Amino acid sequence: MKITMRVLFVLLYISIFATILAGILAILFLHLHPHFWWENIPVFSAVYGFVGCVFIIVASKALGHHWLQKEEDYYEKR
Amino acid sequence: MIEWFHPGFVYLFGAFLVPLLKGKVKQAYVLLLPAIAFVILLLISKGVFGEGPFWQFSFMGYELTLGRIDPLSMVFAYIFVIASFCMFLYAIHIKEDWQHVAALLYIGSTLGVVFAGDLITLFFFWEIMAWASLFIVWYGKTKAASGAGFRYIMVHSFGGVCLLAGILIHLHNGGSIAFDSFTWGIGSEYLGVYLIFLAFIINAAVPPLGAWLADAYPEASVTGAVFLTAFTTKSAIYVLIRGFPGVEILIWLGAIMALYGVVFAVLENDIRRLLAYHIISQVGYMVAGVGMGVFGMAAGNMAINGATAHAFCHILYKAVLFMGMGAVIEVTGRRKLTELGGIYKYMPITFWLYMIGAFSISGFPLFNGFISKTMVVQASAMWGYASIWLMLELASVGTFLHTGLKLPWGVWFARDTPVCEAREPPWNMLAAMGIAAFLCTLLGVYPAILYNMLPYTVHYEPYAPGHVIAMSQLLVFTFIAFWLLRDKLHGTPTITLDTDWFYRIPGKKVIKFCEGPLMATAKYMDNRLMGMAVFFRGIPPKSQTVVETRIDNAFHERVPALLNFQNIYNKIKEDKVREISYNVIYILIAMILLLIFVLFGVVTKL
Repeated sequence: MKITMRVLFVLLYISIFATILAGILAILFLHLHPHFWWENIPVFSAVYGFVGCVFIIVASKALGHHWLQKEEDYYEKR
Repeated sequence: MIEWFHPGFVYLFGAFLVPLLKGKVKQAYVLLLPAIAFVILLLISKGVFGEGPFWQFSFMGYELTLGRIDPLSMVFAYIFVIASFCMFLYAIHIKEDWQHVAALLYIGSTLGVVFAGDLITLFFFWEIMAWASLFIVWYGKTKAASGAGFRYIMVHSFGGVCLLAGILIHLHNGGSIAFDSFTWGIGSEYLGVYLIFLAFIINAAVPPLGAWLADAYPEASVTGAVFLTAFTTKSAIYVLIRGFPGVEILIWLGAIMALYGVVFAVLENDIRRLLAYHIISQVGYMVAGVGMGVFGMAAGNMAINGATAHAFCHILYKAVLFMGMGAVIEVTGRRKLTELGGIYKYMPITFWLYMIGAFSISGFPLFNGFISKTMVVQASAMWGYASIWLMLELASVGTFLHTGLKLPWGVWFARDTPVCEAREPPWNMLAAMGIAAFLCTLLGVYPAILYNMLPYTVHYEPYAPGHVIAMSQLLVFTFIAFWLLRDKLHGTPTITLDTDWFYRIPGKKVIKFCEGPLMATAKYMDNRLMGMAVFFRGIPPKSQTVVETRIDNAFHERVPALLNFQNIYNKIKEDKVREISYNVIYILIAMILLLIFVLFGVVTKL
């Protein structure tokens, strides 16, 4: 288990590095056809993925905690 | 020249032979039916029967078309038939014949909807679809399934009535019986069109009308839920593409829907309900695609192609996902994230097949979600809808987070020691998952197979470097955020309120009111009226009570006995299903009578 985890983390670091590098190289050397201005930022998708994921978790948990989540027998009790 | 044969009728008629067959013959038979339907579709594609339309009947002055053939109906028919084969393989071991019958009727009527060329035919199959799927929900055989089934059919009956009323008003206002794209506008003359639209988006589970989906699907049996995932929502996408391409409100509804499903998936503890919320989320992409599908524009064609392709791919990977979680429930008997974890070592094959579905839904390059979802996103970029683009990308993040990370993490890992014993599911379940997972990968690697079937010519390069790099960054960094916050993502033993609250809580109050104060008032009025009648007509009190008792009997015992769905459900539970067939026949007769009345009404009115 420990070894597999270590391999996975090495893979993760490689893919972080590779996707960022590819993003930068693509902006520099390829003729992409961006539709929106932010597509010219080489790491936009990376930032959006990270921030978006944190946002989804925090916002949904807040919604659930304060409003939507109820005990399991909520409907039976009423 | 061979006469055309409706692929849907292979299922509809084929269904009635199932109870007569036994053992291995029956198992082979339910797999044979999709195979026959598939061969018919191939023959249609080859043009063996000619161009179509087929099976046109003149009925009370209307030209009904049961077989409209064009690229759009064919691509949906293909995926429904292919998916049904995998699903029957998954369900081949179950003993209840009538569950097969319900599934066959459900799929057959969905094909009926797909090939329907006119609104009356559409309505007819639409209703069979709703009722057949109800029985699949009820075959969950629990109290929860019973309740969810009742709520399910309540919503769908409402949708069906909207559809019927919409069709009648549409015809009355001089609309055509043909099922083509409706003229959309603002004003009371479009009331019929609005009602038809409402019926369609109810079936597409668009919030706030979509709570029935996450309410009912997870309550079906392990095998039944797999059938439910594919047909109702995707046939709704088909009819929306037919009837309402380019209706702008769909873009916004779709984008909201994509995020709505994601938010609820964070909160959900039931593993299949979590996946059900991701059906809503994924169908959101398709709904948005339909909304952007304005005729005759490059971006519009891209959007319609995207919606169609995504429906095709979605059916495959969602089947894999539901099959995977179904397998977990089958071998462990547990369905909550809080009660699962650490069982990877018992079922690695199931895990990896599930992950192919998860990679597909998340849009990993080389899997089929990537080649279809990005078409819809691309269409939003071509239109210049910045906020829609951002919402859809955010929904992609959420999809990978839940289906690809949180759910498999929570079910198969998350704990150091397994919570319970487990094993791989029976061979047929694995084989069904394997076939569907293979198709997911095949389409991801050779998108041309799917692109050649789409309604418009495709000018889209999914593996353009920009797309691949952006998607890879998105997924890798979603993973990092997940890993950092994974302790926050454990399931909690709660349920989540959805819009079904509005008919579950006030509904109960209404019934309590009816049973209590309303009944008391009614009884009081009854007595007073009878007293008055006695007084005025001089009826001796004794005969009056006899008459009253008889009337009471008729209304309180006989009529409810005919239409007592609770009874039907109880009988399903006790496996006395043969008795139910009588009640089903009553319902069918009632429905046919209703249809005839309606048609008479239409004909005499016009």
